[in-house]
Amino acid sequence: MSENLRMPGNENPELSSKIQRLIETVDIANLLVEPLTRSIERLLSASATALNASEASVLIRDGDEGDLRFLAAIGTVAEQLMNMRIPAGKGIAGFVMSSGQPMAVSDVGVEEAFYAEVDKATGFSTQMILATPLRHNDEIIGVLEYINRPGAPPWEPFSPEEMDKAALCGEAVASLVSAYESAKLFRDLGEKMIETDEDLDLDAVRAWLRQIRDAADHREMLELALLLREVAGRGEPERLICKELLESIIRYSDSKSETSYLG
Amino acid sequence: MTTVGGDEVTSRSRRSTYFELGNGWRTAAGRGVSVAVIDSGIDTSHPDLSGRIRGSVEARMENKKVVFDPSVAGDSAGHGTACAGIILGIAPEAEVYSVKVLGSGGLGDGHAFLAGLEYAIKQRYQVINLSLGTTKPQFFAPLHDLLDRAYLAGCVVVAAANNLPHPSFPSVFSSSLISVIKSEQTDPRKFGFRYGEVIELTAPGVNVRTTWPGGGYRNLTGNSFACPHIAAIIALLLEEHPDLTPFEVKSALYSIAQENERARESGDAGK
Repeated sequence: MSENLRMPGNENPELSSKIQRLIETVDIANLLVEPLTRSIERLLSASATALNASEASVLIRDGDEGDLRFLAAIGTVAEQLMNMRIPAGKGIAGFVMSSGQPMAVSDVGVEEAFYAEVDKATGFSTQMILATPLRHNDEIIGVLEYINRPGAPPWEPFSPEEMDKAALCGEAVASLVSAYESAKLFRDLGEKMIETDEDLDLDAVRAWLRQIRDAADHREMLELALLLREVAGRGEPERLICKELLESIIRYSDSKSETSYLG
Repeated sequence: MTTVGGDEVTSRSRRSTYFELGNGWRTAAGRGVSVAVIDSGIDTSHPDLSGRIRGSVEARMENKKVVFDPSVAGDSAGHGTACAGIILGIAPEAEVYSVKVLGSGGLGDGHAFLAGLEYAIKQRYQVINLSLGTTKPQFFAPLHDLLDRAYLAGCVVVAAANNLPHPSFPSVFSSSLISVIKSEQTDPRKFGFRYGEVIELTAPGVNVRTTWPGGGYRNLTGNSFACPHIAAIIALLLEEHPDLTPFEVKSALYSIAQENERARESGDAGK
């Protein structure tokens, strides 16, 4: 940002400038979080087709106690699942999360505690489930689930080969979930830092944040980040051209600063 | 009594190393053999399990240490109940004990699982069913130590492979425990052996019908369900040959599996 806006309640220009940079990064991280969940959904769709499952969802850990929440889902009740949580160790997903063991159940019963709750809330009928843990850097970070088959029952149970396929899809999903969590962690940390400073006048800080975010150059920077994201998603040739163009601009800018005639 | 690594070596490890396997185990029921199920607890009110679970304890955190209390919590996930049903289905007179290490907040990080294994070894349960695992490298050394202690104490530990692209501990340890992977076999006595593989034994683990909390049954697939099949077979072997050491149990399983594989090749097994 060209001009350093002073943070209310804090006269240290260096800190204000650091926070401004943090906000820029947080906003870019926010921009990235959304496409990550979209990528996870795309992966869920493709893998559900490969496994001949009608629904799929990703649950991630929520807090330190081992609770789970839905991060992404595809299928008829995907939207309703988004607000749901599963307490630690409860149900098949809870077990898979805490034990690290994948499992499949071909006849989930109506009395099964957790699914009964979810099904009651969504109007859905879970009959078959395949759940596999999501691992990243030796940590279990969530659970990948596939539910039911397309069409009307009776259905063939999930096979051992389909369990192996699910484990492989889990690898790719886990990488995306981890990237999502990093971006989110960064955003949460930034917000937490501002919230926990008791000396701050929160209204003034919020106004200050708005001011930063409304500033033309901040918006331009985010638009640039969006453009880059768009180009990166178009394909390899576009990415290469974009990279070359950007490097040329930097080279031009460097040479200009060395031999500037404009002062 | 000799001690190795701080643990007493059982006297039975010094008896004659020769034993005749015979076929008596095939009709045994696991009578008098204790089997610990380290898992999510067991629903002791299930009609098939009622009065047949000899004891239930559960892990609890106290001052950052895991302690075990008598448990009436049952099974919140279903998995331990499923494993107990498989074991008692094959070895109906085995003495099954539930060691609940999964299920409540804050316990799913591996510490409770290790503490549960240590508890089971201290109780000298003859067979320990571990249908769980961890991929955290920090547990590698402590688990190795615990398995050596189990081996020296004469406890046979059976662990499920995780079948995922990452190794899971302890199933990849090959010397001091028995690791099992699922197969589409259906007869528990006709389990197989994978010569030269780290996970050596195969047992039924595809669409296994077993007990589930609430009094019902489920058809389940996973290595978790292959593991209790072998735990139960070991209970049968130990009823017939109570003095077998873990090493001898492994040898017996290998020779039975070889026989099964030979019979399968000639087309008269697994039917």
